Amino acid sequence: MKEMWQDAMLEAFHETSRRLGLFLPKLLALLTFLALGVIAGWLVKALLMRLLSALRFDAFCERMGLMQALARAGVVRPASSLIGRLSFWTVFLVFGLMGIDALSLPATANLMSVLLGFLPHVIAAAFLLLFGVLLGNFLAEAALITAVNAQIQEARFIAQLVRWAVYLFTGAMVLTQLGIAKEIVVAAFCIIFGGIVLALAIALGLGGRHIARDKLERRLRRRRAEEDELTHI
Amino acid sequence: MIATQDGADAPWQQIRAQLPQLERADILVGLPSLNNAETVKPVIQAVTTGLQQAFPAASVLLVNQDAGSHDGTPELMKGAVEERFPIALLSRTASGTSGIESFPRLSGGLAAGREEAFQAFLSATKEAGATACAVIDPSVRSVTPDWMAWLLGPIMESRADYVAPLFLRPRYEGSLTNTLVYPLNRALYGTAMRYHAGGGCGISGTLAGLYLTEPFWDERIARSSLETCLATVAIAEGRRLCQAGLGEKLAPSSAGGEDVSAVVAHTVGAAFYFMERYQDVWEHSAPTQPVLHTGIPYRPQPDRGPINIDKMMRGFRQGLRDLLPIWEIILSPETLSGILPLGLVEKDDFRFPPQLWAQTVYDFALAYHDKVLHREHLLKSLTPLYLGQMASLVLRTQHQKPEDVEECIEELCDTFARTKPYLVERWRFS
Repeated sequence: MKEMWQDAMLEAFHETSRRLGLFLPKLLALLTFLALGVIAGWLVKALLMRLLSALRFDAFCERMGLMQALARAGVVRPASSLIGRLSFWTVFLVFGLMGIDALSLPATANLMSVLLGFLPHVIAAAFLLLFGVLLGNFLAEAALITAVNAQIQEARFIAQLVRWAVYLFTGAMVLTQLGIAKEIVVAAFCIIFGGIVLALAIALGLGGRHIARDKLERRLRRRRAEEDELTHI
Repeated sequence: MIATQDGADAPWQQIRAQLPQLERADILVGLPSLNNAETVKPVIQAVTTGLQQAFPAASVLLVNQDAGSHDGTPELMKGAVEERFPIALLSRTASGTSGIESFPRLSGGLAAGREEAFQAFLSATKEAGATACAVIDPSVRSVTPDWMAWLLGPIMESRADYVAPLFLRPRYEGSLTNTLVYPLNRALYGTAMRYHAGGGCGISGTLAGLYLTEPFWDERIARSSLETCLATVAIAEGRRLCQAGLGEKLAPSSAGGEDVSAVVAHTVGAAFYFMERYQDVWEHSAPTQPVLHTGIPYRPQPDRGPINIDKMMRGFRQGLRDLLPIWEIILSPETLSGILPLGLVEKDDFRFPPQLWAQTVYDFALAYHDKVLHREHLLKSLTPLYLGQMASLVLRTQHQKPEDVEECIEELCDTFARTKPYLVERWRFS
């Protein structure tokens, strides 16, 4: 009885020791990967921020209206700082995934390959988002200035319409890129965009057909009302 | 650029092919044309008569570069010269331009290939060893024989390198030049030189050589504001200048059909472009120097028609309402705090103070230099402020004599000069 108890105890001890012996290097590998992730992430962040600073990226973003858009969303950090942080966490996440992979847990066996396979889509979606926001702001600003100089009273409304049309289009493209409910996104986009165009067409047809006809006649027949021209420049 | 690329002497080769006996010329007269059949004969008549009267001993070469006329302008031009002077007809493709490149210019209301024609004339001037070159616009009906003496005389007498045209205009016409470009350039470079766009100008042979080496030909400003480029380079390079009073300019008007904000963006953009280029010149420029004048003395003319002050006021007020977020980026808080109360003032009491206008223009120049916004957006967003300033000038002087507008422009020039340290300090630290 005593021997059996001793054997059971020793077997359990040896088994646990063996398992710990197998697990501890993996845990150490995880911790090492995490530490390396912090260092590599910090290095990438510092290098990227220095590069962006040399390229005057913050001034560019301000020029393109990105900072104003972020400020409206409550983000007051410079764009280079945001990208620096994003790069840090991306690098840290990659190292963290490597560490988790090193643990060889059955639950996370394919996590690394799945996430790495998805990463290009995420990066492409992030670039699309950035480009879409920049383009939306740029076109909205251009539309606003043009409409104000043409003395169109609805200038701000037109600018917002342009901005949100580009944002809407960008959002649909980002979701499609990420593969999130592709069919629903495409259908929703078509319905919303088509709806807006139809609404504008009906509004113009019902409410502004006389104005539209007058404008078209003036343009096509090149009739110029002298009192409306600024000829002194 | 003609002077630096292969085939740099292509215009001269074409001229020599048409006029093999020609070795050199004292004077070259450039005639850029596009469908000018209606006006070309009297213009050529005036030019040739003027040349015979003013420079009987000089060897003269006339050069036409046509941008693709469909009405036989070059042939009419050649016929009108009647063997009095040698004339060469250049085609645009010879200077390396394909037809499709002219589309944006045509759509923009600008004369097609005008800057290419100027380059060809300057290149031919250099190759011909000419002392002077005059460029005359064949669409201007008011060209007289005197123009030749006024545009070329100061150069032939070695008194000037660049002769700019100055036309008799209604008092509020050319107000963008009068209330912005002229006071700005005068404050920057210390030269009281006024010039108007188009019509004609005179350039010395040495200055023609300098122009050909200039980088501005590759920029958009060469297409939209060529006169500003030529005049500003001549001023900043310290060349001898002259203004030629050419009387009234009778020509098809383009300003009325052109977008005001596009004109503002082109003209002011060209002035700001050269501010960056010649920073070392204008930072240390001397007090204002007068400029030699030939021809008819300048005096503002009465208005041709009513001035639409209400439209200008509406433009300013809408800008104040809708473009404020953009102006907050461009203008200093001090300038903006001066502009904001103007939105509350009644029309009859509306005045845009000269000091505030000078600060506004300098703030826009600084913002252009710092690239705080896309440059075209920045320049176009100046339009409502310009309209406000213009409305203020008209409200102040509409019941006074035309000469009183000149007093206001002089006051503006003094204010721009006085406020220049405001610009210099900020430019250095931007």
